[in-house]
Amino acid sequence: MEQSNKAHRKTKEKNTAKKKLHTQGHNAKAFAVSAPGKMARQMQRSSDVNERKLHVPMVDRTPDDDPPPVIVAVVGPPGTGKTTLIKSLIRRMTKTTLNDINGPITVVSGKHRRLTFIECPADDLNSMVDVAKIADLVLLLIDGNFGFEMETMEFLNIAQTHGMPRVLGVTTHLDLFRSQSTLRTSKKRLKHRFWTEVYQGAKLFYLSGVINGRYPDREILNLSRFISVMKFRPLKWRNEHPYLLADRITDLTHPEKIEREGKQIDRKVALYGYLHGTALPSISGTKVHIAGVGDFPISQVEKLPDPCPTPGYQQKLDDYEREKMKEEGSTSVTPKRRKRLDDKDKLIYAPMSDVGGILMDKDAVYINVGKKNEDESFVPGQERGEGEKLVTSLQLAEKSIAENFEGVGIQLFSNGTELHSVEPEEDEFVEEEEQVEGSNKGRANMRKPKVYGKSIQEDDDDIDLDAIPSDDENEDVEDDSEPRMEEIDFGDNNKSTNTAETDSEFELSDNDDNWETDVANKLQANKTKRRRKWDIGKLIYMNNIEPEDCIKRWKGEDEEDESDDEGESDIEKDEQEFFTKKTGVMDQNKETFNDLEKFVPYFEKIEKLVEKWKSLDSINDRFIGASMKSKTEDAEGDSNEDEVFGDFEDLEDENQEEENQDEVEDDEGEQSDDSFTNFDKEEKKDLTMDEERELNAAKKEKYRKQFEIEEGENFKEDDPDNEFDTWYELQKAKMAKQLEINKTELDDMTPEQRQKIEGYKAGSYVRIVFDDVPMEFIENFDARFPIIMGGLLPTELKFGIIKGRLRRHRWHKKILKTNDPLVVSLGWRRFQTLPIYTTTDSRTRTRMLKYTPEHTFCNASFYGPLCSPNTPFCGVQIVANSDTGGGFRIAATGVIEELDVDTEIVKKLKLIGYPYKIFKNTAFIKDMFSSAMEVARFEGAQIKTVSGIRGEIKRALSKPDGHFRATFEDKVLMSDTVILRSWYPVRIKRFYNPVTSLLLEKKTEWKGVRLTGKIRADLNIETPTNPDSAYKKVERVERHFNGLKIPKAIQKDLPFKSQIHQMKPQKKKTYMAKRAVVMGGEEKKARAFMQKVLTISRAKDEKRKSKKADQRKERLKRLAKTEEAKLEKEKEKKKEYFAKNGKKRSSTTEDSRGSKRR
Amino acid sequence: MSSNKKSPYVTFQGSQNFRLRIVLSTLSGKPIKIEKIRSTDLNPGLKDFEISFLRLMESVTNGSQIEISYTGTTVIYRPGIIVGGSHTHNCPPSKPVGYFVEPLLYLAPFSKKKFSIVLRGITSSHHDAGVEAIKWGLLPILEKFGVRECALHTLKRGSPPLGGGEVHLVVDTLIAQPITIHELERPMISAIKGVSYSTRVSPSLVNRMIDGAKKVLKNVGCQVNITADVWRGENSGKSPGWGITLIGETKKGWCYFAEAIGDSGAIPEEVGEMVAYHLLEEIESSGAIGRTQLPLAITFMVIGKEDIGRLRIAKAEIDERFVVLLRDIKKIFGTEVLLKEVNDGSDHSDDYIVTVKGNGFTNANKKIA
Repeated sequence: MEQSNKAHRKTKEKNTAKKKLHTQGHNAKAFAVSAPGKMARQMQRSSDVNERKLHVPMVDRTPDDDPPPVIVAVVGPPGTGKTTLIKSLIRRMTKTTLNDINGPITVVSGKHRRLTFIECPADDLNSMVDVAKIADLVLLLIDGNFGFEMETMEFLNIAQTHGMPRVLGVTTHLDLFRSQSTLRTSKKRLKHRFWTEVYQGAKLFYLSGVINGRYPDREILNLSRFISVMKFRPLKWRNEHPYLLADRITDLTHPEKIEREGKQIDRKVALYGYLHGTALPSISGTKVHIAGVGDFPISQVEKLPDPCPTPGYQQKLDDYEREKMKEEGSTSVTPKRRKRLDDKDKLIYAPMSDVGGILMDKDAVYINVGKKNEDESFVPGQERGEGEKLVTSLQLAEKSIAENFEGVGIQLFSNGTELHSVEPEEDEFVEEEEQVEGSNKGRANMRKPKVYGKSIQEDDDDIDLDAIPSDDENEDVEDDSEPRMEEIDFGDNNKSTNTAETDSEFELSDNDDNWETDVANKLQANKTKRRRKWDIGKLIYMNNIEPEDCIKRWKGEDEEDESDDEGESDIEKDEQEFFTKKTGVMDQNKETFNDLEKFVPYFEKIEKLVEKWKSLDSINDRFIGASMKSKTEDAEGDSNEDEVFGDFEDLEDENQEEENQDEVEDDEGEQSDDSFTNFDKEEKKDLTMDEERELNAAKKEKYRKQFEIEEGENFKEDDPDNEFDTWYELQKAKMAKQLEINKTELDDMTPEQRQKIEGYKAGSYVRIVFDDVPMEFIENFDARFPIIMGGLLPTELKFGIIKGRLRRHRWHKKILKTNDPLVVSLGWRRFQTLPIYTTTDSRTRTRMLKYTPEHTFCNASFYGPLCSPNTPFCGVQIVANSDTGGGFRIAATGVIEELDVDTEIVKKLKLIGYPYKIFKNTAFIKDMFSSAMEVARFEGAQIKTVSGIRGEIKRALSKPDGHFRATFEDKVLMSDTVILRSWYPVRIKRFYNPVTSLLLEKKTEWKGVRLTGKIRADLNIETPTNPDSAYKKVERVERHFNGLKIPKAIQKDLPFKSQIHQMKPQKKKTYMAKRAVVMGGEEKKARAFMQKVLTISRAKDEKRKSKKADQRKERLKRLAKTEEAKLEKEKEKKKEYFAKNGKKRSSTTEDSRGSKRR
Repeated sequence: MSSNKKSPYVTFQGSQNFRLRIVLSTLSGKPIKIEKIRSTDLNPGLKDFEISFLRLMESVTNGSQIEISYTGTTVIYRPGIIVGGSHTHNCPPSKPVGYFVEPLLYLAPFSKKKFSIVLRGITSSHHDAGVEAIKWGLLPILEKFGVRECALHTLKRGSPPLGGGEVHLVVDTLIAQPITIHELERPMISAIKGVSYSTRVSPSLVNRMIDGAKKVLKNVGCQVNITADVWRGENSGKSPGWGITLIGETKKGWCYFAEAIGDSGAIPEEVGEMVAYHLLEEIESSGAIGRTQLPLAITFMVIGKEDIGRLRIAKAEIDERFVVLLRDIKKIFGTEVLLKEVNDGSDHSDDYIVTVKGNGFTNANKKIA
């Protein structure tokens, strides 16, 4: 058979790059700028695009290593499939199927990324507000059949005011569309609507129907990929505050206390969660806000082992382990680096949803025993199996083991007495404490996990403990805290000695815990020389030591070493200088301590100074000129100088600094060599070319540095040709540098120092304990509603008047009324307050407005916890679900402009009076005031008549009380009205009512102060109306003024021009008046005819008009009828449709929880 | 600490560091209570200048509440909002204007309105900051922290005891946060300048002081430039007096200074010499900044951004004042500083680096737009 080959394919005419260049008929490169206008436009365009990409440079304070999990909030109206989506995503990421979603769920989604999913309860505005404040990414669920619903819009608007998080739209229920074309059009419509809400080109996902209770795997896979590569921009508020989304809470109150004092007592509550934002300060007593509960001081923070560590972090731990192994000499294999997540790395942590039924805590392990619907297990007498029996028997034990042995002594000899243990007294206190603690501990020391970053209890007791003198000191102990000589001994790497000498603080915790400390110590070993000394850093903060003592002790290393036992041998040491010096120091101490206010610092006596400063050698290197001089003295720049200038390299750069250190060391080595400079000089001729070059380079570098020193900072700061093209880049670089400095500095510190300086950094899993939390928080706890703890800055703890710019939301139906309660969400807080809306009258005064203007900003002032300017806020009138109609609830949005302790707001008050006696320019005015006292208050006030004559209040009249004399610039009329325009101060009501929705049993039903309208409606009060304020038709009486009468005497003297020309009344009849006209003949006939014709035509017109009106009426009636029929038909249609398709909605309105398990 | 957890005040005892405590409280917004002010003294309670200072604080803030106990030994201060504005303050004759200007420098950059305060009284004294010391010694430090437009104008000089001087403090820069600074080196001094001034005495005294100072400083190897400033007529206050202030300037903007005034009977040359020696001493015992500038710098570092700032100080600068300062800062702000020894192998290896993480303070008083 003939072999059949594929026919030869001819090479295609390839469009090579070269050919492309010549498409225009000439070499495009040769005429690069062929169209300058076009090119300019292109450049303009590209720079526009680039410029639009820029954002205000902001520092991102999220730590690079081990960042906190990304909070993904799933938001949407009820029944849009939030739970299903979370379940599908969790299933996809961790291969776990969750039955019940309660509270935040943290999963590992990548090597360095974790996600915390929270479901935002659809029917709670409060939760929506809270979630919007903390979510990094919002999955906005939209029912494809219904489009955007009120909740969605509300959420978007809330999110916008609190710093827009990333929003991903997810459209569900798309399988319900029957025809493809409607699906397509509705998709498109949704997309565009979404774009207008979020931004042009925002991503909108489409999920089709549910399979096996989950969304299709392929679609979920895409979504999860999208999520896991998403980047986030730092948001201002979150970049300035620490916050935490509690994924677990426990009530630590002693159960006995509850039993004894009743359920009503305040509880001790622990919140658990990952820290986000900035570092949480480690000072106990720091106030934080728990949204929906209130402000509480932190009584204790503790860093716990990460329950859901990322593989990247695990790797770090492993690396550390391996290092350690290597040090010990054993070899280990480096594990293979994987590209994909291992199954064992796909962790899930959802304590509220209890995954897997086991839950571990610092001091307890909770085991979920069976389901509720199964019969009870662990019932004594009905055990099923060996294990249960064991447990129940444990429960049966009446006495603890210790109690069992109580009273049992040891008989050493058969005839001897029983020896009983004697309690060591000093332990008593500790044990007591342990007992108290132990009662709510469950099993103590069950787990010894590795902790990254030691958990330090920030109690002052701790510091005291730490300050208890170690055994080698036998000084008197004042108080119970006395600083301890810290022995820094890092010479050997022997672990046992290390642990023995670490702080007692460390000894409190497990040895395994502080590997980090070990490492830090080891790291420091190279730096610190072996010596015994007081640590000034600790001494400074020991409040029980007087400052002078503190300094003395610290300096003691050189002074008091010798004079340790002052009593005996001191005087023999007759070093006069030493002695005087010491007294000098003492004097100084006394003096300065008595008068620390003194500005001038302590100086030695003048004679001493003269002696000391005979030569300026000790500070020669501080003067530029002097060092130059000394430099010129040296023929060759020898290494001594190198040392002087060696450290003037780029100082900011840490790495370089380290290098510097090395360099310096090298230099020292060199120095010893260089003591033979002369030899060098002789040998110089023998240098090779390279060596000479090196030498020259070194010299050049030295000169450069010299130049830099002399030029100072200016050299770098205002350098126009620095490496950064734009200001933006420069700022970015500066920030990056600062961050780097932060990192290196913090890494250099020991863990406890770091804790003190930095606090608990974001990404650490902490347990925060609060005392005195209202019992309702625990009793009415519902995992469905997120618990958010936000840190507060010092300003946010103060209360005062907040002035902001505010605008009624255009979708809110009503304008807002001054002093009507408004629930404001500002910062972490939600609170009800009574705002006063104001405007400024050309910046001279702040005038109250009764209502917000329709479509423009006004100012609002309200009382509440302060928040720094530029913080946006939003307000709603009602948060309770039962009180809301279907309308858009966000009533106003705004931004804080200014804070103050009080503010001056006025409202206009017009007092009116009437003149009752008028002299020339003076008039007596009545009805303005009711007493002479009131008049006295306004003496000298400017008044004005309606007609515009200005005047002044002079004096109260004695007789009719409240009447007064006033002068005007002209004579006023009796009919005029006098107006006194005054400004009446308006007080802002100091009303602050935090929305404590989480304390309620029905969390969605928080009701605060009612709106004015609501109160009126409830109490059946009519809205008060001032009849004067009602708009009426203005009826003006025609006024007649008498003519001007000028006395003859005056008239006579007036110049001709000003003479009044008045015609005398005519006496004779005019010609026209005299004549009488009589019509006759033709004219009369014509007139009569015309009159008839006109009458007929008028009558006809009338008839026609009335007929037309009738017809019109008929027509309208007909139209109305058809309209009605149409409506009826439509209604029927709708009814039919919703009966078929809208079952879901009706069910959700009845019971939103019911829809969860659809 | 734990005992006064419930108490709404941060409590201090004694009269020491009075101004700084009030200033820190105002910056942090935390109310403080100072107890036992000279309680064992024959003349217990607040002194007239302290009362005057509290008045000044009241006028530059809005909503501050000051409660002074009957005996004057206890003060409760609830800070309001720093507003600034234009004020005139008459200082009591017991303290010079420098006593009042110094604390104002801490507050001025963080106020609502610009500071423009005229202070009347004595302009120089033995124990408190003189006008030149503030102008050339403290304002440059402010400048390093980003407060560029600040000035202290001497309208009239007034020597003790009668005074009659007048100074005008103008701070036009309102910043949200001080700049985070890093100074890891002892800066090099590029020039020494100074002012030698006199009121109502012979101008020759001024020149004699200059001579005395120059004699000491001739060997330092850099430029020494001392200005003579002789005040005559009605602007020279009510009493005769004279003094000298020397400043060591660096290219980087840091500076060191020393000052003194002459008593009647003192020899001008000796005063000049003494101040020169003090300057040398100050230079020797300072890292990047002098002892008198330290509180200002540390405070500004503490209230900076949430970044780490570093400052090199000499061992001699760690004294009681420093300890008291840090303790007060910790009490009010809760911020601790870290002292780290410098091991760069240079001559001054007993220097320390003060590492401070700013507490994220922002000037919330300023109005936007």
